[in-house]
Amino acid sequence: MISLIGFSSLCLSTIFSFVLLIPSSILHMKIKYFLFIYRSSTLLVCISFLSLILAYVTSDFSNFNVFQNSHSDKPLIYKITGAWGNHEGSILFWICMISIYGFLYSLISKSINDFKIIVLKIQSALFLIFALFVLFTSNPFLVNSVLVKEGLGLNPILQDPALAIHPPVLFLGYVGFSLVFSLAIASLLRGNQDHDWIKETRKWSMISWGFLTTGIALGSYWAYYELGWGGWWFWDPVENISLMPWIAGLALVHSLLMIRGEQAIEKWIIFLAILCFSLSILGTFLVRSGILTSVHSFTSDASRGLFILLIFFVTTGFGFLVFLIKSPSKKNDLHLLLINKTSALLINNILMMIAVLTILLGTIYPIIIEVLTNTRISVGGPYFNSTVLPILLPGFLLMSIAPALSWQTNKVKKFKIYVICFLVLSSLVVLHSYFTNFNSWGFIGLILSTWIIIASIISIVLRYKFSPTMQYIKSINSFIAHIGVGVMIIGITFSSIYQKEYNFNIAVGEEVAIDNQVLKLEKIQIIEEKNYQSLKANFSLEKKNRIISYIEPGKNYYPVSKMITTEAGIYHDWFKDIYITLGNENNNIWFIRVYINPLVSFIWVGVFIMIFSSVIAVIKK
Amino acid sequence: MRKIVLIIPLILLTTVCLFFLLFILFEKDPNNPPSALLNKNLPVFSSASLYNDKENLVSDSLKGKYTLINFFASWCTPCRAEHHLFFEIKKEKPELFILGFSYKDDPNDSKKYLEEEGNPYSFVGIDQDGKIGFEFGVFGLPETFIINSDGQIIFKHTGPLTKEIIDNEITNLF
Amino acid sequence: MKLQIFFKLLFFLFFLIFSYYSYASESVDDKVKQLTLELRCMTCQNQSVYDSDSDYAKDIKKVVEEKFKQGLSEKEIKDVLTERYGEYILFRPYFNSKNLILWLFPFILVIASMFVFLRNLKKNRIE
Repeated sequence: MISLIGFSSLCLSTIFSFVLLIPSSILHMKIKYFLFIYRSSTLLVCISFLSLILAYVTSDFSNFNVFQNSHSDKPLIYKITGAWGNHEGSILFWICMISIYGFLYSLISKSINDFKIIVLKIQSALFLIFALFVLFTSNPFLVNSVLVKEGLGLNPILQDPALAIHPPVLFLGYVGFSLVFSLAIASLLRGNQDHDWIKETRKWSMISWGFLTTGIALGSYWAYYELGWGGWWFWDPVENISLMPWIAGLALVHSLLMIRGEQAIEKWIIFLAILCFSLSILGTFLVRSGILTSVHSFTSDASRGLFILLIFFVTTGFGFLVFLIKSPSKKNDLHLLLINKTSALLINNILMMIAVLTILLGTIYPIIIEVLTNTRISVGGPYFNSTVLPILLPGFLLMSIAPALSWQTNKVKKFKIYVICFLVLSSLVVLHSYFTNFNSWGFIGLILSTWIIIASIISIVLRYKFSPTMQYIKSINSFIAHIGVGVMIIGITFSSIYQKEYNFNIAVGEEVAIDNQVLKLEKIQIIEEKNYQSLKANFSLEKKNRIISYIEPGKNYYPVSKMITTEAGIYHDWFKDIYITLGNENNNIWFIRVYINPLVSFIWVGVFIMIFSSVIAVIKK
Repeated sequence: MRKIVLIIPLILLTTVCLFFLLFILFEKDPNNPPSALLNKNLPVFSSASLYNDKENLVSDSLKGKYTLINFFASWCTPCRAEHHLFFEIKKEKPELFILGFSYKDDPNDSKKYLEEEGNPYSFVGIDQDGKIGFEFGVFGLPETFIINSDGQIIFKHTGPLTKEIIDNEITNLF
Repeated sequence: MKLQIFFKLLFFLFFLIFSYYSYASESVDDKVKQLTLELRCMTCQNQSVYDSDSDYAKDIKKVVEEKFKQGLSEKEIKDVLTERYGEYILFRPYFNSKNLILWLFPFILVIASMFVFLRNLKKNRIE
C-alpha cells in the first residue's frame, strides 16, 4: 500500500513536470498555473520519498528495496537513514532535491516572470530525465515477489551518525548546482546577465558550495574515525569525484564575488555554472555505473550505467552547446596587472581549472588505458599528491594577500608592513625547522598557512574599523574564509607530516609509554548489542600519573552480513589526537597501532570557519 | 578564434563518454583486473606431489601439451563451487593436463577436501607458503590458468569458474 | 613594481626549498613502509598494503622486506611485483610511454596557461 502511494505520486510528479515542458506555442499557461503545477510536482515527489521512509520505518518488507536494505532490529534512526543509504533511495532523494530547489527558487526569486519560467522549465527538464531514470532502472517501489518475514540487513558500516547525514548534505550540494545550471542556461537563452542575475546566481552557488563543503567534511570526518587507518583523505575515486565540483564551485563563487561588470568574466561564470553541475552528474555516473572500484560501492548494473551516461552526455552536451551557440562574442575587457585583483582572480581560476582537469584525468585515465590496451593501471594518492598539491601552492600564496589587492593598481596599501611580517614569520619558521626534523613539505605548509592567517589579520586590522555589526563581519568575510583555509592547512600539514606512529604487541594489564603519556590495556570486553557483537579493548591514558581518559578501539561483528569492522579508538583534544587501532590477536597478545596526530582538530575547525563564511555570505545585511 | 576554443569542451565530452561507453560494453569488471601474465611464459617452478613427496613436477615438463592450472584450498568456499566443473573439462578434453595446487593450505586438509569432493587433477602440487602462487600473481582463490603447448599463459581467471566462462572462453582456446 | 619583485623572490625561494633533499640513510623498515604505502592491496577496496590487515597484504609486506634485505632497489622490487600483478598494484603509475600524457598533462597546462597569462598581461600594458 505504501509502495503504491509512493510509486503513483512519483509517476504523477513526473507527468506534471513533463506538462511544464510543453512549449508555450502549443500550450500557453499563465504563470500562476505554471507555478501551481510545478509546486504540485514537488509536493508529489516529496510524498513519494516520505512514503519510502515510512516503508522503512514500518519495516514493510513487501517493498523489495526495504527488504534488501533493512532489518527490523535496526535502531529507528538507522531505519530512516537506510532509505537513502542505497542506490534507488538515494536517487529518489536526488530528484526530490532537484524539485525542491526549483520550488524554493520559485518562492524566493525576484526575477521577472518570463525569466523564472525558463529557469523552472530547465529545472523540470533535469527533474524529468532523472525521474525517468528512477522509474525505468532504479525503482525503489518494486514489490517483493516473495513473502518474507525479515530483511537482509543494512550494511553495518552505514550505521553511523556522520555517515547517515553525509549523503543528504552532499546531495544538497551537488543538486544545488542544478539550479545554478538552470540559471546559467536561462540567462544564455534570454541573452542577459544583469546585476540581479549575478546576485541570484551568487546566492544559490554559495548555498550549494556550502553544503558540498559540509558534505565532504562529514565524509572525511567519518572516514577518519570509522575506516580505522587514521586517514581522512585517500584520493579514492569517489572522493575525487566530490572534489571536482567543489573546486569548480569554489572558482565559480570567487568569480561571482569578484565580478564588476567585466563581460569576459560574465561569460566565464556561465561556463563554470554549466561545468559544476556537469561534474556533479559525472560523479553520479562514475559511482553508480560500477566502472570504478572504491571504498564506496553501489551495486552496479550495465543498464543503469548506460542510462546515466546518456543523462550525463545529453545534459552536459546541451549545456555546452547552448553556451557555444548563444554566448555572444564578448570583448576581452579585463584590466590585468601584475598583480591586481583581477589578475589574482584570473590566476585563481586558471589554477583551479588545472587542478580539476588533473583530478579528472587521473580518475578516468585507468578507464581509458584499459579500453585501449586491456591492461589495468592504478592512479592513486601519490599521483595526485605529486601533481595537484604543487599546482595549488601558488594559489595558497596568492590567497594571503588577494583580498587586499587593488583593482586599479598593482600596489598594496602599507606594503612594507606585509613584507616585514613575512620576513619575521619566515625566520620563526626556519628557526622552528632547525630545531625539529626538517621536511620540505612541512616547512612550506607551515609558512603558507601561517602567512595566510597573519596577512589576513593584518588586512583586517589595517582596512576595517571594528564594530560588532553584521556589516563589519560581512566586509571582512573574505578574510575570514581565507583564515579558515590557513587553519585547515596547518591541521593538514601537522597531522600528516608530523604524525607519529607506534606499533606494539600488548596483553591485558600491560602498559606502553609514548612521549610523556602511558597507555595501559585495562581489559577486553565483549558486548552484545542490538544487531552486532562488539569487542572493545579498554585503554587508560595516563599523564603525570593521572588517568585523563579512556580509549576504546574495537572490532564489531555483524551476524547477519558476517562482516567484521574495525573501530578506531580516539582521544581528541585541541592539540592532538591519539588514535588506536586494534589488529590481530595471538595467544591473548594484541597487536595495536597507535598514531599521534598533532593538530587534527585544526582541520575540522578550519573547514567550519569556511562553512561559517559561506553562511555569512548568503545572509542579508 | 574564440568560437573554436568553445568547441573543445564538446569534443572532450564526446571522447570521454565514448571511452566510458566502450568500457561498459566490453563488460570490464572493476573487481577482476586483466592478468599481467597473459601471453608471457609459464613461471619456473618445482613442486612435490601432495600425495607422495618423492614425486616431483617441474614446469619444464609441461612443454608440448596444454595445461590447466588451478589454485585451490580446503578453506576456500568458492573453490568448492567450481570443483565439479573440472571433471567435466577432463571428460571433454582428456588430453588436457589438469594441474592443481594446494595453496596455503595444510596438506592433510587438502587431502581430505579432495577425498570429499573428488580429485580431477592429473597432479596435485603443494604450495604451502604461497611462493609458487606469487610467481603466478595469485591474490584471491580460486585462480585458474591455461597454458598452451609452447608454454605461454593464454588464459587467467580469478574467482570461481562457471559453465558460461568455460563455454565462452575456454573451449575456443584449443 | 615592488610587488612583482616580491613575488618573484618568493617563487625563487620556494624553488630552492623544493630542491632541498635530505640524504639521510633509511632503515629497512622505513623503506618497507614507504613502498608498501604505494602498493595496492589486491584483495581490498582501494587500501594500501601497509594499511591492510589482510593475508595478501601480510604476504606482500614479507616479500618486500625480503627483497630490500637482499639489496634490491625500490624500482627493482616494483618491477618484480608488476611482472606478477600488473601495474595495477602500483598507486603511483610508472612514468613510461603509456602514462606520458598522464604525467605531463598538468605540467603542460601550467606552462601553457602561464604563457597565455603573461601574453595577455603584455597586451594590457601596450594598450
